[in-house]
Amino acid sequence: MRQNHARDMNPFVFHCPTKVTFGEHMAATASDAVKDYGGTKTLIVTDEVLAKSGILQPILSGFSKDEYVLFTEVPPDSDVDIVNKAAALARETGCNCILAVGGGSVLDTAKVVNICLSLGGELLEYQGLNNLASRLGPLIAIPTTAGTGSEVSMVAMVKDNAEGKKLLFGSRFLAPDCAILDPLLTVSLPPKLTAATGLDALTHNIESYTAVISNSVFTDSLCIESLRLLFEYLPRATTHGDDLQARSATLVASTMAGVAFTNSGVGIVHALAHATGAKFGTHHGLTNSIFLPHGMQFNLDVVSSRYALLARNLGFSNSSNDEEAAQGLISAIAQLSSRVGLPNRLRDLGVPELKDAQLDELALLASTDPAIMFNPKESSVEDIIAIYERAY
Amino acid sequence: MSAFANTDQLQKIMVELWNQIKNTPSMSEKLLSSKLIVQFQYRDPDGKITIDCSDGKQFLIYAGETKIKPQVEMAMKADVAHEFWLGKVNVPVAILTGRMMARGPVNKALALLPVIKPAYDLYPDIYQHREVVGTSITG
Repeated sequence: MRQNHARDMNPFVFHCPTKVTFGEHMAATASDAVKDYGGTKTLIVTDEVLAKSGILQPILSGFSKDEYVLFTEVPPDSDVDIVNKAAALARETGCNCILAVGGGSVLDTAKVVNICLSLGGELLEYQGLNNLASRLGPLIAIPTTAGTGSEVSMVAMVKDNAEGKKLLFGSRFLAPDCAILDPLLTVSLPPKLTAATGLDALTHNIESYTAVISNSVFTDSLCIESLRLLFEYLPRATTHGDDLQARSATLVASTMAGVAFTNSGVGIVHALAHATGAKFGTHHGLTNSIFLPHGMQFNLDVVSSRYALLARNLGFSNSSNDEEAAQGLISAIAQLSSRVGLPNRLRDLGVPELKDAQLDELALLASTDPAIMFNPKESSVEDIIAIYERAY
Repeated sequence: MSAFANTDQLQKIMVELWNQIKNTPSMSEKLLSSKLIVQFQYRDPDGKITIDCSDGKQFLIYAGETKIKPQVEMAMKADVAHEFWLGKVNVPVAILTGRMMARGPVNKALALLPVIKPAYDLYPDIYQHREVVGTSITG
């Protein structure tokens, strides 16, 4: 079958500044990683649930008591106040290294704390893209979910609750120095969260692969293999949380997707998920999973050949007709989402029905979300509302 | 060789461009309603242009240093700005490849991109007449 490899290549820059280590019990090597990067006193950033779960024990056992300070106050949707509090603690206690153990919120918080600790000054001054002038102090990330890719990404988002908005930080200096992937830390993740974070990773792959202005053969190859792993192992990881083979595959797949999207961007699905999440507090991965088939249908006429390539690569279609093959991929994603027990309508997440003015407001939010810059097809406010309504 | 001979020429061309944007209601009205203060910082040659729409009524254009505090800052080489106004720069790619820097709430700056798109048609003529622009405009 003819593959469309002959398309013009985009000019691209590919960064992968994070050293990735993987293996069971690898989390116990965190103290060695800290020393490798010159850390002598470490702020360990995590959340209360993980702190109480005992999951930190193998990590902490590598440190002597005076080598670390524990900060366990990161909430699910972190805030500037938490960042400032953690940074103040790090300064007071003389920390020169940060170790983040947790999901996306913990990892993003740790990245922004690292800005404060390394550069000082007013946090808002660093908001933006490519806005950090120098390298930061060492940051080591240990993800306990398999979805956000934050352990390797060059972006972080935290809320500014006082102003009611999300702050975006993006810089190659923001990526952690080291990501430690230990599947044992993900086995206790509940099925619904496993599924939702898995679909987040899957969305990263689909949107990165079709960010046709900015993707590259590097990001493409990561996306394809990551998708293969997710389709094969996410159902098992969801139904059998202690299946270490499935946990390993989904964890690695998520990190691969993280490297891909941080280099090529995401798209309209993420823009809609960010806007909906900001308005109604819906789970990011879950919201992505609901918007994904609808966002793909919207982009279909522009990137059907890309979807078709994926569908054929992953064995979902052998049709030589691009549109037919692309529909095979969209169906496969919808089936996977249903198989892992995720809802397929926004109303199922408790999102209320919106009036016209509210829809306009949400669409405006999505249309100015930085994620939408990389979408392969331009969208009007009306297009965004139409996708939203179909997903509702 | 840079598209601009020096700071003076760069800033005068940009001021002329922004004056024409200001005098085009389809663009200026949307920029005024944004109530934003945006500063463009250029290097090689160095230059600064600040657009202040903060009160929603007056469209103020400043060249060079100013005490006004911008909400959004965009930094780039002057040549990147030149290519941008010729419609040849893909902003997302320029950000990913580090050719553009944005400080502040990036979504607000992005919202303005479609608004100023018609200025791509104004710029080539202004640039073509840069020698005249360079002597007739006071920033």
